[in-house]
Parts: sequence; structure tokens; C-alpha cells
Amino acid sequence: MAQTTAADDQALRDRFERDVLPLLPSLYGAAMRLTRNPSDAEDLVQETYLRAFRGFGGFTEGTNLKAWLYRILTNQFINTYRKKQREPQIVEGPDDLDEWYLYDKLGGRSVEVSAETEVLDQIPDADVKAALESLPENFRIPVLLADVEGFSYKEIAEIMETPIGTVMSRLHRGRKALEKALWETARARGLVDE
Amino acid sequence: MSDCGVNCEEALKEIERFLDGELDPNVQGEISHHLSDCHPCMQRVEFRRSLKIMISSKCVGDTVPVDLGEKIRGMIRERDASA
Repeated sequence: MAQTTAADDQALRDRFERDVLPLLPSLYGAAMRLTRNPSDAEDLVQETYLRAFRGFGGFTEGTNLKAWLYRILTNQFINTYRKKQREPQIVEGPDDLDEWYLYDKLGGRSVEVSAETEVLDQIPDADVKAALESLPENFRIPVLLADVEGFSYKEIAEIMETPIGTVMSRLHRGRKALEKALWETARARGLVDE
Repeated sequence: MSDCGVNCEEALKEIERFLDGELDPNVQGEISHHLSDCHPCMQRVEFRRSLKIMISSKCVGDTVPVDLGEKIRGMIRERDASA
């Protein structure tokens, strides 16, 4: 392999700053949902960037940079922070929940959908974040990647290093669990009667 | 319920993948066709769509610590990428 020159290093550094640094806000947000606190999120993001930079020379330009970066973030989180957290690793999901849990809870009988969605809109951002963060990690990660970050099933499968079928089932159960958490939030906030 | 293509049960079973844009285009089209004819299914789908939008719009906007970008830049400059 040809020896890298100082100019090559500088070019790589410039390309990294140009392409990878702008993803910081989205990466930091994801790190917040994963670690659930600003101090760990900051550490996780820094470690992710450091690893990404070390591996950046081997990253093929033009391929999926964001998915590549999220894969590093997710791995780093699982390997480091999961060990620190006392959260039990719940594998089971809320399979007993009705398929249309939240829709039915919020009414689902009105002529217009607006009544149900109005309740959703009233839930404060911080509560929605907390609801997502309350999910066990194996459900939280796919929901975060799909619904917040907009990754496809295939990308999520690559990021989580799991088969697509597993992604779909965890996403489905994760979303149901999130519906339940949102319902409880809406009720605690007095946004719904019951 | 429409007289051809998918019925309500079939349409609702695929709703998650439909909204995620993960279905085969033909199936996607059949479900869209069913929804255009079926108000109850459409309501459910619109609810789920709103929920997805609500989650994506409310789970962002965390304030990045002011010096984090600079810290990362500094870290990169100190490191030799090829090391």
C-alpha cells in the first residue's frame, strides 16, 4: 500500500470535516435518545466521531455515509453504554396490545381524524422524547432509526447487524410500546379523559 | 371494501410497510387504491401517518453543546488518520 502523505491526510481530514461533521446535530439527538443524558450523549458522539475518523480512509465515498456513521454509533452504544446502564434487557414486547391500541384509545370513532391527531400534537416534545426513551433498547433503536432518522429496513438491518425480519418485528413491537407510552403520557398530562 | 384488489384486512395488515414505503410498488398501488375507496381504512392510515410525523418532528432539535463541534475538530486534527 502506498504511503500516505501529509497532503493525503489533510485531504481526508478536510473531507471528513465537510461530509461527517454536518451530521453532528442528528447524531447528537440520536445519542441523547440512546443514552438518555447529555453527558453520556456527548461522550458517545465524541467516541463515534473518533472511530469514524479512524475508519474514514476505508470508507468508500458515495456510499451511505449516514448509515455507516449510525452503525458506528449504535455499536459503540451497545458495547459501552449498555454495560453501564442497569436497565434489564427486555426481549419480550407488548404482544398483547391491540393492533390499533392508540387509535382506539383516542376515540377512533369520530368522523374526522383531526380529533385524534390534535391530542398527539398537544403532547410536549420532551414527553414524546421521554416516551421513546422509555422503550427497551432493542425496540428503541429500530424505532429511532426508522421514525426519527428515516432509515429504510435494509439500512436498519445493516446498522443493527440483524436480519430484516428481526428489524420488522422489533419495529412493530417497538411502535406498539411507544403508542402505549404516549397514551400514558397523554393521560398523565390530562389531555384525554380516562 | 373495494370489489377488486386487497380487502380491508389485507390492507391494514400491510399498513406499517405501506407507510414506511417498503412494499412492492404493485402492492403499494393496490393498497392506495383500496384506501381511496375505503374511508374507515383511510382514517386509520391517516392516524398512523400523523403519528409517524409527530414522532419524527418532536424527537429532534436537541441543543448540541456549543463546544462539541470544536472538540471533535480538535480531536481529528490531533490524530493521524492513517494510524
